[in-house]
Amino acid sequence: MSLADPARPLAVDRVEAVGAYTLLVLRNDGSDVGRPGQFFMLSAWPEPADAYLPRALSAAWADEREIAFLVDVRGAGTRALVDAASVEVRGPLGTGFAIADRPALLVGGGIGAAILPWLARELPQPPRALLGFRSEAHAVCAALVSDEPTVVLDPVLVTEPLARLLPFDGVVYACGPDPMLHAVAALCAEHDVECQVAMEAAMACGYGACYGCAVQIDGVWKRLCVEGPVLEAERILA
Amino acid sequence: MSADLRTSLCGIDLEHPLVNGSGTLDALVAGTLGLAAFVTKTVTLEPRAGNPPVRIAETPAGMVNSIGLANPGLDRFCEEHLPRLTELGVPLVVSVGGWSREQYAIAVSRIGAVPGVAAIELNVSCPNVDTGCISIGTDAAETRALLERCRAETDVPLLAKLSPSVADVSAIALAAAEGGAHGLVLINTVRGMAIDRDTLRPLLGGGGGGLSGPAVRPVALHAVYHSYAATGLPIVGMGGVASAQDCLELMAAGACVVGLGTALFRDPALPGRILAELLALLADHGFSGVEGVTGASQNLDSKAPPELERSER
Repeated sequence: MSLADPARPLAVDRVEAVGAYTLLVLRNDGSDVGRPGQFFMLSAWPEPADAYLPRALSAAWADEREIAFLVDVRGAGTRALVDAASVEVRGPLGTGFAIADRPALLVGGGIGAAILPWLARELPQPPRALLGFRSEAHAVCAALVSDEPTVVLDPVLVTEPLARLLPFDGVVYACGPDPMLHAVAALCAEHDVECQVAMEAAMACGYGACYGCAVQIDGVWKRLCVEGPVLEAERILA
Repeated sequence: MSADLRTSLCGIDLEHPLVNGSGTLDALVAGTLGLAAFVTKTVTLEPRAGNPPVRIAETPAGMVNSIGLANPGLDRFCEEHLPRLTELGVPLVVSVGGWSREQYAIAVSRIGAVPGVAAIELNVSCPNVDTGCISIGTDAAETRALLERCRAETDVPLLAKLSPSVADVSAIALAAAEGGAHGLVLINTVRGMAIDRDTLRPLLGGGGGGLSGPAVRPVALHAVYHSYAATGLPIVGMGGVASAQDCLELMAAGACVVGLGTALFRDPALPGRILAELLALLADHGFSGVEGVTGASQNLDSKAPPELERSER
């Protein structure tokens, strides 16, 4: 994909409620979809009057036929996406998970679980999944990640079952809110377990231009769209 | 196609009139996206980490940013970035910022001596720092003195990037011209703010921020129109441009080159689309090239709204 290429308009195939979240499935035009953890910039068509910027979302799963996003509808922009007739897509952008041929443990928090179904499918062996949500309705999507996920609900934190499982002879792949990722990264570091984290930040551009998505990486503010969104966990602990 | 769109800025030949606004593109990451020149993110003497998140907030027809002049500092910029930036294949404009005349002068002296730097932009308008920078660009005497000081350091064309968040931008523009600016860049973002809808606290990490996007386009038109009328200097016009029609209007107001910023965030393929449309639009209006458009709105005295002019005085 070249940045100078126009965004690809993809038709909406279906929109389904998955508990508290909404699954948006686009018909892909055969274009490369990259790999789990990378992200796309999505613009609803027709253009919403009240949302100027595209939205950066990683896919729940994707192949040459369809690209699916699990959306947490929070405001005008995400509402416009799930109501759209078609969606203009730019990407894949950023880094994805580096899939290792080792046992895998997926750790997800809230809408962070949205990107784990694709990763689960791509892994060489079915992973264990530890998922935390704020309610039963939000936890419905856990079934997309694994047939037998370990699910905890607020106020229990996903780090509780994780701490019981560590040390783990394999790779931990995590996506969720910042405090969760830092706690997961710290636990893994403590037990010397390899960990990759997919972080979230609001992005205006998604290609390193706006400097809006800065997060602490290697101890300084860096652009998540350039360095990540998937990072080796040690890089957020510095 | 390029022949008809060719233009120049302070003696710098450009393939067409589209460039980026400072801080809206990292050409070392994304390339130059078909733009006719590349303007760097503003560099300061010392490295700056930038403001803590949240750094951007979407607003009606635009966004507010609070990046805070994040940059690697002059030394690392000159050693690591500049050699690669001069190899981009398009004219390079380096944007510099600072907290005193002396700091600008040091940066201008060093950058102006680097072969391949076509022009230097003096950013005296960043809304995301507490002191310096915009406090110079909101004061006509300071702006004039800064230009005079920097002119003594280099023969490279100097462009003053101005803020619209002043009572009379044309007075600042005139001061820059009197100080020796070769050209002007306007507008920088408009001072703005966002409040977190849940906590009712300031949303952006820097407190306030700079508004950009289509919301500021009329502000840009006004600033360019009056700054061109006051100085006649070459102007890189920017502020909410998202289409060929926007370009044409900003040029008619007085710009000879047009900067893209927030619209590039939305669509990095925009330059190609605008250029294709601009050619047709120029023909529709009977222009043979872009250079005749600059200031066209000002030559038509009969079309100027006199009552508006009066009310502004």
